[in-house]
Amino acid sequence: MVTIEIDGKSYQAEAGQMLIELTDNNGIDIPRFCYHKKLSVAANCRMCLVEVEKAPKPLPACATPIMDGMKVFTRSEKALIAQKSVMEFLLINHPLDCPICDQGGECELQDVAVGYGKDLSRYQEGKRVVFDKNIGPLIATEMTRCIHCTRCVRFGQEISGIQELGATGRGEHTEIGTYIEQSLSSELSGNIIDLCPVGALTSKPFRFKARAWEMQQAETIAPHDAVGSNLYVHLRSKQLMRVAPKENEAVNEVWISDRDRFSYEGLTADDRLTTPMIKQDGNWQETDWETALAFASENLKKLESNNIGALASATATIEELYLLQKFMRGIGSQNIDHRLRQVDFSDQNDAPLFPYLGQAIADLENSDAALIIGSHLRKEQPLLNHRLRKASLNGAKIMLFNPIDYDFNFKIAEKIITTTWVKNLAGIAKALLETEATLLPAKMQELLAEVEITEQQRAIATVLSATQKGTILLGNLATAHPQFADIRSLAAIIAKLSGANFGYCGESCNTSGAWLAGALPHRTAGGKPVEKAGLDAQAMLTQGLKGYILLGLEPELDNWNGVAALNSLKQAEFVVSLTAYKTAAIEEYANVILPISLFAETSGTYVNVEGNWQSFKGIIPPPGEARPAWKILRVLGNLFELEDFEYTSSNEVSEELSEIIGDKLANNKMGWQIPEKLETQEAEGIQRITEMPIYSVDALVRRADALQNTIDAKITKTAHINAKLANQLNVNETSYVQVKQDEIMFTLAVTINDQLPDNAVLIYAGQNATAGWHGQVELSATTEGQT
Amino acid sequence: MSTLLSEQSRTEIDAWIAKYPPEQKQSAVMGALKIVQEANGGYLTTELMDAVAEYLEMAPIAVYEVATFYSMYELKPVGKHKICVCTNISCMLCGSDDIVAHLKQKLNIGFGETTADNKFSLKEVECLGACGGAPMMQIGKTYYENLTSEKIDDILSQLD
Amino acid sequence: MKAIKDYIQRLFLWEMFKGLNITGRYLFKKKITVQYPEEKTPQSHRFRGHHALRRYPNGEERCIACKLCEAVCPALAITIEAEQRADGTRRTTRYDIDLTKCIFCGYCEESCPVDSIVETRHFEYHGEQHGDLIMTKEKLLALGDKLEPQLAADRAYDAKYR
Repeated sequence: MVTIEIDGKSYQAEAGQMLIELTDNNGIDIPRFCYHKKLSVAANCRMCLVEVEKAPKPLPACATPIMDGMKVFTRSEKALIAQKSVMEFLLINHPLDCPICDQGGECELQDVAVGYGKDLSRYQEGKRVVFDKNIGPLIATEMTRCIHCTRCVRFGQEISGIQELGATGRGEHTEIGTYIEQSLSSELSGNIIDLCPVGALTSKPFRFKARAWEMQQAETIAPHDAVGSNLYVHLRSKQLMRVAPKENEAVNEVWISDRDRFSYEGLTADDRLTTPMIKQDGNWQETDWETALAFASENLKKLESNNIGALASATATIEELYLLQKFMRGIGSQNIDHRLRQVDFSDQNDAPLFPYLGQAIADLENSDAALIIGSHLRKEQPLLNHRLRKASLNGAKIMLFNPIDYDFNFKIAEKIITTTWVKNLAGIAKALLETEATLLPAKMQELLAEVEITEQQRAIATVLSATQKGTILLGNLATAHPQFADIRSLAAIIAKLSGANFGYCGESCNTSGAWLAGALPHRTAGGKPVEKAGLDAQAMLTQGLKGYILLGLEPELDNWNGVAALNSLKQAEFVVSLTAYKTAAIEEYANVILPISLFAETSGTYVNVEGNWQSFKGIIPPPGEARPAWKILRVLGNLFELEDFEYTSSNEVSEELSEIIGDKLANNKMGWQIPEKLETQEAEGIQRITEMPIYSVDALVRRADALQNTIDAKITKTAHINAKLANQLNVNETSYVQVKQDEIMFTLAVTINDQLPDNAVLIYAGQNATAGWHGQVELSATTEGQT
Repeated sequence: MSTLLSEQSRTEIDAWIAKYPPEQKQSAVMGALKIVQEANGGYLTTELMDAVAEYLEMAPIAVYEVATFYSMYELKPVGKHKICVCTNISCMLCGSDDIVAHLKQKLNIGFGETTADNKFSLKEVECLGACGGAPMMQIGKTYYENLTSEKIDDILSQLD
Repeated sequence: MKAIKDYIQRLFLWEMFKGLNITGRYLFKKKITVQYPEEKTPQSHRFRGHHALRRYPNGEERCIACKLCEAVCPALAITIEAEQRADGTRRTTRYDIDLTKCIFCGYCEESCPVDSIVETRHFEYHGEQHGDLIMTKEKLLALGDKLEPQLAADRAYDAKYR
């Protein structure tokens, strides 16, 4: 620690720390444009010039390391002259279009100009004009306003890891842009809107809609990924206008993903349901809540309770999920599940309390090695990926085990790209067993004895056994795999043998909460096992029940097997759907649809992948007659005269639940099954791989127009195969393939994607109802089709 | 690997790469662009820059940044002789404005343009480090200093 | 002595004649009362009456939806909603002035960066219902179109003082 003096007051600081960090921490205001605490120091705007004793010229505070005994003057005459002169230079080419600029009112340049700008410009010459670039559906550009702080360029290099923006030309001809016209492809690109100190980069969906000063700010939690990013939402007369990140170092730092930022558009989608509706004699009619709920309860009461099943989306709040399971168990049915995208439930009794990351989110960046098993992490959980990227930049070895050779925005140390999961994982386990002394149960060793080890498997094992702080992460491609139990066991074995943390990447914003709330057929709230497990999500649909209660999902898109889901729902006698949207499919299968409120319209709690309970309040009123689902479920409970269903707030529900959970901690060290036998056969024929694409994960984001126009959303409509397979099938990017899977046929356009192995086809979920997510398919060329 | 780079270009680029530490291949970008530009008749295309980016394992935009920053790289076809006139302070004080005016009038083109016969291109450049001989210009790889209108006529007439 | 003077003044109704003198003077002076509505008082170039929205000579509306007038309005009488027009420019979709709230302070005109919202010399208007006094964008533009020659002349006259 050294002592320095700023404006006559002394401060303690770390030697070598930049001056601006110290002044920021102590509330001393120094104007700046290019400096940002999360980005590298560029020192190119020169706005933060301060006077330092004995320095002949003013020094930039952002790039001046602190030294012992330094005397700094931030508001001396010399410093002020320097700052004002820089301001004058910056304003030379900046247009005076604040009245039509979306940044007006929250613009750093505007604010600083008030303090340091002159009221008259001495500049007589013509101003520079830069033509606008189209950089995609999310970000609007007005590059004449750019002051070349290069925050957006550095963001691309350092944070998003995809260098797309750059500064081309020089001097007065410098332009920030992509040079060739292209859309930004980063899933974090929206953050450059916040970074841009002027109005050069602004939000396209929000363009010209509201002014900074006429909006109120409220806090909430992001409703999509398992990170649970902290958000600010900005409201104008009770309408949600835009979303911005709220700083929380432990969760999202200062970033949010584009999905969290732009999904709010789905709130005002055209097909939003605003009144309860019932179907009588095949006709839908709008009705009031009393009639609709009475109609629902009367008809449900007619059915045997164990012939009713409840399916919930894990985007529901923990209160809603708890009440739904309390309701189901109250009427005597154990058939409740939220694991819509899972098919192998054989080891559900050994599963941990909830799919836990195995560590705090922030700890991920301290890992020295990680093995990601079955995850397109960049698109699944963008901010977890960002943490791993940071780890990787610090020298951690990140390894992949995936069916598809996804692009990652950091260096991948080792990777195995295969559709034969178990055999390859077993190989890694065996390689570890050779080097590690820890013994496994004899049965397991026997099972592994047969396995042969390849070079790649051994390389991964070597890295893992050498790590001090390793992590094995199980992603959503693994969770949805038909051999999930074996994969999970092997992953746990690998973690155990290598001493690494074992964790899940998490799926939805409240997957953890759904487990804790007991939205499961085999466990009630707090993870307490039930005597006789009910039917899981797939069994409910394959066996076919007479009654269904659906909470916040579109089964044809959200479910592992959309076609099967639709068929059994259509055959059911009575289906109640608590939904925010009215779709053609719902009209076909449901008998009652009850409008629920969505993100920002309801109060509740989400539990993120690290087990962090984050509560939020209702901020905007739901449209029309829509109501928070917890209230609807409470009234349903009352109509069934169930005990203890008198809640007046969502808080009471979550308090009741946290009392039940007590001091149970997140822990992944629960038992795992020894598989009966390891399925070490190479997968035969062409294997379907299914990924839930980033902008289709839930009903809300599926309706966010801007996101649906991004590259990430556009590539999801087709079947992806590699060039070799395309040659074999004799198809190209202009033709179609007919996919035959489990007697279900559908036709898709073709995209050639060489990230895939030879024997696989990637068909995205969340688009149209297709058959199961994995399994053997037959592909054949066809000339006609529709995308 | 892109087929745009010829075998010879690659060998030459490799010689540049060898000058830098192996993990800093991108340091060779300026040399590589020069080699590629010469092989392509004096100018670069986006495809060529992409090929360089791929070869040096850098982001394409980083190559565009370099190529647009330096005046020795051309992004569209130029004439046989590229006349680069310095207009920075020393040359300006010694009369580069007259030199420029004379060239423009003689060739009947402006900055950034090429004569109809594709023989000459005119370009305004920043200081070329020959202030001692201001005003000056560069044609090809040769510096011509202490210019006057007559001297220019002479120089240009000698170029075929 | 003062007492005697006061007494005489009171006896001869001096104060009254003094008052009548003023009355008499004004009786024969030129009258300033105007016979409204046949006659009207002169108006300043800066008269602050009914609002209007102006257009550019090419017919394009001036307003760019910057919302400064809405922000500055002390009576919260202005309501604006903005959107991107098909040609990409920033325009209002709604521009309402509630004349029952307006206090005619002229701040909206002062704040306008494009001289779009103005207060005209027009002050003779009425509404039979509350809603009649909520001026919409169409009404304001129509009034602006009608009064444009005078508005332009007034602003040109006033320009040198700004």
